[in-house]
Amino acid sequence: MKDAAITLHINGEEHKLNVAVNRTLLEVLRDQLGMTETKYGCGTGECGACTVLVDDRAINSCLALAATMDGKRITTAAGFAHFGELNHIQQAFNDEAAIQCGYCTPGMIVKTASLLAKNPDPTEHEIRHALEGNICRCTGYEKIVKAVQKAARTAPGRTVKADAACQEVAQ
Amino acid sequence: MSSRILPDFDLLLPKSLAEAVELLATHGQRITVMAGGTDVLVAMKFTQSPEYVMSLDGIPGLGYVVFDAAKGLRIGAKATIADLLAQPEVKQHYPALWHAAEIFATGQVRNTATVLGNLLRASPAGDCSCAIYAIGGKLILQRTDGRREVDIDDFWLSYGVTAREPDELAIELVLPPPAIGARSAFKRMTRTNDDLSKLNVAVQLEMLGNTCVEARFAMGCVAPTPLRLRNTEALLKGREITAELLARLVESVPSEISPIDDKRSTAEYRRQVSGVLLKRAIEEACSAA
Repeated sequence: MKDAAITLHINGEEHKLNVAVNRTLLEVLRDQLGMTETKYGCGTGECGACTVLVDDRAINSCLALAATMDGKRITTAAGFAHFGELNHIQQAFNDEAAIQCGYCTPGMIVKTASLLAKNPDPTEHEIRHALEGNICRCTGYEKIVKAVQKAARTAPGRTVKADAACQEVAQ
Repeated sequence: MSSRILPDFDLLLPKSLAEAVELLATHGQRITVMAGGTDVLVAMKFTQSPEYVMSLDGIPGLGYVVFDAAKGLRIGAKATIADLLAQPEVKQHYPALWHAAEIFATGQVRNTATVLGNLLRASPAGDCSCAIYAIGGKLILQRTDGRREVDIDDFWLSYGVTAREPDELAIELVLPPPAIGARSAFKRMTRTNDDLSKLNVAVQLEMLGNTCVEARFAMGCVAPTPLRLRNTEALLKGREITAELLARLVESVPSEISPIDDKRSTAEYRRQVSGVLLKRAIEEACSAA
């Protein structure tokens, strides 16, 4: 087949689409649906700018055929905001100024969400390991790591470890 | 430069194994089989333009990683690197493979790429391929009139070419159950953490006290396919591991390999470090007991 009729559940909304089978999920999100928050970086699965969650797993949407995504639940970086309010991860990136040109930020936020879902209190090493597939061409990694740490501390329903939090404030 | 846009193709989405092998029997050579797609789609963005792409996505029940102490480890065609890492028995009984999987590419790729896909790509640099070659195992290939097993030792024929016939589907990899006294380790060198290896090595030893009863060494990025270091293995088999013997192994490796200059390293450098990396892998395997 050359075209496929698929249903995607993107950020909680159902989209019924007809897609050409040689279109990647990224191309469908950006070009067919106008959801440009997910970025095109390398196109070969190295930079992570196009990271989205598919059924809670972070993948590179530039290396996924949209036609094989029928029925899947997709979350993009915009999906974490609630009625225009930033969530704790987005807010932490903002607060820590973990954004230079901003191009890698949507992928970083999606990958951070997938990390914190599995590991709510990651060490710095675990954060860096989790973000190894997300390249920041501005090289602003220090602030990104700080933002992930802040996102972990400020996650809803989390009790802050008082000592650790105070130490970081003191620094 | 490539546009990095996928060429036109016809997508085949079989809903069962039977349908998949039927399609392979009909179209054979004209089909590129895709599981995770992290290699296939990149190749298609640059050079390859298959008439048909057959995705395994719709075939149920091939995503398993199952360990049995008597039968070994069974890995289905759709099991991702992340699925492998989620199985604690892999870390416990196949540490070389677990380590190769842990450092494999990036988290996003590990969530998509499959273990069997790494073998079928037949790249000399595949990290999981290297670990699996040292451990040993067999591929199960299915076609319409039955299935056959191919030993991993006979699987890679040349760069990018495997023993799989165009009408066959690789459905499972079986690793042998861990032997008594078995140790394994995997090591590699890269430019950056998520880069392809410039050199990788895996060792599988069976130890009786300090004596090495069995040894399998696999090295990647030093020949057109992953390579067994059979002459070097023979030096170790049946002997006690001593510093002197390890020094002889280090000397032996360069004569077994045929590395090339490429964008990741040079033949000269690879030759120089190959023996040392093997030695470190043996030391790591022994110390991890």
